[in-house]
Formats: sequence, structure tokens, C-alpha cells
Amino acid sequence: MDQQLKQALDFANYQQTFSIQKKVLKERMSAKLTYGFNGGLFRIDRTLLTFVDMLCAKDRTSGVILLDANENPVLVDDLEEFRDEIFRRYFEVTNEYFEQHQKIKKSRSVEKLISQ
Amino acid sequence: MTQGILLYAHNNRTVDYALMSVIAGGLAKKNLQVPVSLITDASTIAWMKESNIFNQAETVFDHIIVVDRPTTDNQRRLHDGQTGQMIPFINTNRSTAYDLTPYDRTLLIDSDFFILSNSLGEYWNVDADVMLGSAINDIYDDSRVGYLDRHVSDTGVKMYWATTVMFSKNANAKLFFDTVNYVKENYSQFADVFRFDCRQFRNDIAFSVAKHILDGYQQDDVLSLPPVLSALDKDILHGVNGNTLTFLVDHKLTNSYCAAAISNIDIHIMNKQSVIRNKQALLELI
Repeated sequence: MDQQLKQALDFANYQQTFSIQKKVLKERMSAKLTYGFNGGLFRIDRTLLTFVDMLCAKDRTSGVILLDANENPVLVDDLEEFRDEIFRRYFEVTNEYFEQHQKIKKSRSVEKLISQ
Repeated sequence: MTQGILLYAHNNRTVDYALMSVIAGGLAKKNLQVPVSLITDASTIAWMKESNIFNQAETVFDHIIVVDRPTTDNQRRLHDGQTGQMIPFINTNRSTAYDLTPYDRTLLIDSDFFILSNSLGEYWNVDADVMLGSAINDIYDDSRVGYLDRHVSDTGVKMYWATTVMFSKNANAKLFFDTVNYVKENYSQFADVFRFDCRQFRNDIAFSVAKHILDGYQQDDVLSLPPVLSALDKDILHGVNGNTLTFLVDHKLTNSYCAAAISNIDIHIMNKQSVIRNKQALLELI
């Protein structure tokens, strides 16, 4: 086989694996950012973090009703505790995401990609 | 309130579902930290004893519930990478899960669904009586997912995936499972209404139709379990290295493979024979 074509095919294989690894990593992080609380299910994202932090800043910290990912109302007795938990989870997950993403980006072969 | 996981295993001459259920049950117990029970039949237990996995099964499962082996002529084509064969598929008693589960809140999983994370643990206390896997999530991408993976038929309703089902022991969940059973027993009539192929019984279809009926004949995506990350049966579980499972993924379904690896994420591995080939390494994970 022509060397140039072989290189192109090798690169194509690499790209396929690279795409899968990125997708799986994203799925994993997304799952970790799902938070079940008091019968509701929250997706920890920037909107939730900002909204909850804003409510805390306005001293709305007890007996707060939040809408969860399914738009169902959920009672949060202690919003500061809830805020601390979602911030903790968010940073834990995004830090892991960053580390794993860096590893994938730096892996220049299929073997290295699947050994991460 | 007791929480636990429930699996079914009825062996056929080709696929060792008993072994797979020990692996799936062991991984679920380890990663979700809840008890696991197995529903099986006498002949499958006899095979477990003969193949020396019964002792391990007794350590994995808190309850081994023996039921009559369902009689069915259900067949399906299962691939092992490029090769495939028709095999009997003994799966028609899922609707008994409500009556047989020893738990107040149950996560019912297929024996080829491997729980490698604690993500589903977030769903135990969600205020929903029954939740199904909301869709298939192909390990490669959506290009391999067809319309009939998302809908029960060309003109039918949305397909949910009964690979994962979480339910509570209450009247609403009982009604749901009674409806699943009713759909199963009148499968060809419902096939006329919902326009699906009735030649092979599929739990995914029976559960989806039951959900559609009980949701008031409308689609209601609210309160489902996450999409089921799946490696198709044309993909091959190539190896297990520590916590990492490596796959050969037939990315265009034309026998052209690329590599992939996953860890710390739950996965539905449809290529059962490739699971069996890696049994030793998988058993070491539990």
C-alpha cells in the first residue's frame, strides 16, 4: 500500500478512536453531574450553580423550592448545604474532566488513547 | 426502605446467562453498594453447579429465586462480531419482577448490563414509581442507531429500553407491570395497534407500550433513567485491563473496526460471547 494512503488510514483510525474516547468521557462527566436530591433530580450546570448562589446571596436559604431537571418542584430545606454540595461535585467533576481531556489530547496513538 | 438490584438468567444452549448474571450482579453490588437478587430456573442452577460458579453466585446474590423456566419459542439473531447465529431467547417473564422482587425499590437490569459506576445510585430516591432507560446511547455515535431503535415501529411510539428499569413496590408500579403482562399476553393484537413486528417478543416493546398507555397515550419523557450506553453485538469486547474495558467497534457496521476503551461508566454489552471469552478478567473485577 502506498505509504501516504497508509498514513491517512492510520490517522482515520486514530480519529475514530479519539472521537469515541471524547464522547465516552463526556457521557461519564454528564452522569456524574446528575444529582438526586429529596425526590428530585438535578443537573448540575452553570445555570443551577448561579441561581442557587444568587438565592444564597439574597439570604433565601431555608425552605426554598427549586425546579429540578424535569421541572418538578423540590423543597430544599437548607440551600447553603445544597449549594456547597453542588459546587463540590461540579469542581470535582470538571477537574477530572480537564485531566482526562488533557490525557486524551496528548495521546498520539490508538494504543495510548485506549490505555488512558 | 430496602433497595436492591434484580436480574433474570435463563440459560440456553448457546449463551451462559447465569455466568453473565454473576458478573453483572457482582459489578452492580460493588459499585452501587446494594444487595442483588437473581431470578432463575432449576436447569440454570444445575448448570451453575456443573460449571462451578454456583458458589460465587451465592456470594453475589442475597436471594436466588427459583421460578419455572418460561416456555417460549422466541428466537433472535445474535452476532459475535462478524459472525451470527439464531438463538433461543428466554426472556418472557420480566413482568413478574414486581411480584418477585424482595425490595421496596428495585433496579431491574439485564444480565448484559454492566454497572461500572455509581451514577444510577442518584435515582433511588427520585419521586417516580417506574422509570425506564430513556433511549439507546450507542458507544460510537447516533449514526448506528436506527429509527426502530428509537421507536417500536415505523409509525409507532417511542421506544424505551427495558435494559434498566427502576420501580417502587406500590400500586402504580403494580399496575404498570400488570399492563406489561397484558401487552405480552396479547402481543399480536397490540402489534396490530402499534404496528410493531410481533414475530419476536421484545421486553423493550412491551414496556414501551405499557408506559405509553399508562401515560395517557402520549409521550412523556419526564422521569426516565439515563440513556443506555451500548456496544452493539457486532462490536467485540476485546479485553479487560484493570478497570478498563477495551472494545473493537464496528463503526460503520461493515466489519471495519476501530478501538475504544471505557472505564467508570455503565455499559450494555450486546455481544454476549465476547463477555464470556473475558469471563475471568470480568469476574476479577467484582
